[in-house]
Amino acid sequence: MPPTHWQLFWGMQQVALSSFGGGLSAWSERIVVEDKAWMSKQEFITGLTVARLFPGPNQINMAIYIGSHFRGLGGALAALAGILLLPFSVLMGLGLAYYYLHTSMAMDRLLAGVITASAGMALSMGFKIAAAYFHDRVALLLAAISFVAMTVFHVRLVPLVLVAGPLAMVWYWPRKP
Amino acid sequence: MTLLLAAACQPAHLGDWRNLIAVIWDFLSLSLFSLGGGNTLLAEYHYMAVDKYCWLSSQQFAEIYAIAEGAPGPSSMIVGLLGMGAAFEEGPFWALLSGVMAEVAILLPSTLLMVIAALSWNRFKTSPFRLAFERAMGPITLGVLFAVGLKILRISDHDTPAYAVSAVVCFLMLRTKISPLWFMAVAAGLGVLGLVNR
Repeated sequence: MPPTHWQLFWGMQQVALSSFGGGLSAWSERIVVEDKAWMSKQEFITGLTVARLFPGPNQINMAIYIGSHFRGLGGALAALAGILLLPFSVLMGLGLAYYYLHTSMAMDRLLAGVITASAGMALSMGFKIAAAYFHDRVALLLAAISFVAMTVFHVRLVPLVLVAGPLAMVWYWPRKP
Repeated sequence: MTLLLAAACQPAHLGDWRNLIAVIWDFLSLSLFSLGGGNTLLAEYHYMAVDKYCWLSSQQFAEIYAIAEGAPGPSSMIVGLLGMGAAFEEGPFWALLSGVMAEVAILLPSTLLMVIAALSWNRFKTSPFRLAFERAMGPITLGVLFAVGLKILRISDHDTPAYAVSAVVCFLMLRTKISPLWFMAVAAGLGVLGLVNR
């Protein structure tokens, strides 16, 4: 019996709620595969592959995958609403508080500190995936060109991807053995 | 010169429907370019909010990024905060509505594509197009993520102690599993004590 729209909505809400504090992907697997047994571990991993490959936030894509796997577009929207409702509401609350309070002196000092930490987190994103490409010189060259194009020549992301993407795809097109 | 440039940048008023459509179109068209989970778009969001539409200062953008990172859930929800900033002058109702609309616009195209992908994956799984796409986008994502990281670093940090804190946080993010919230809490303390400045 595949889950209904409501079950998808509540299930994803449970995932969002459990993961306050981090580890969205791990919680999603625990609830969807272990607790509710909606999917096998193998099906879940396939979903993760698709979610990472296609554009969009990975965890949100995973919810969409789970929803559409069982109930098509409607299921996807139910799962999406479930995973977003709580975190997005919290974020909107924080946002309102920020826009009202950020001009105060005390908040300004506090935020001046916080952004040094978040800048460090932003910097770590590239390093996190860099190791996977060390053995591939063409990949490193592509990465370097993308970096220089954006940082030095201020090329925007869309034209960069539209030009570099197809060229890279030609290079990486699977060759017959 | 800087003053002149700052004065020339007038916030785009969303009451004018042409502005509104332009903004919504920008978010819609960026949606399908959110490679590698969406953080690759941060430099584009900064360009839109600070340089193109003048909703926020660079400093505010850095602060909003910090809030989105610290809040529970995917950090790509920062788009909701950008939308909120665009309409904040009009009062909390319009700020909230604008925030929700921006988030809907950035998620809509990638959601529809993801539904199609989920339903037809078995046909795509072994196609050469998929293999080439996957291998080609990885290195581009890598370069873009470094560019984005550097951009955020530049708009956030302006003195040596600040850069030092960022470097330490970056190192700890890579080498430990400590929750990022701890780094933010400690850094907030350093800010309150006046040890890091803008």
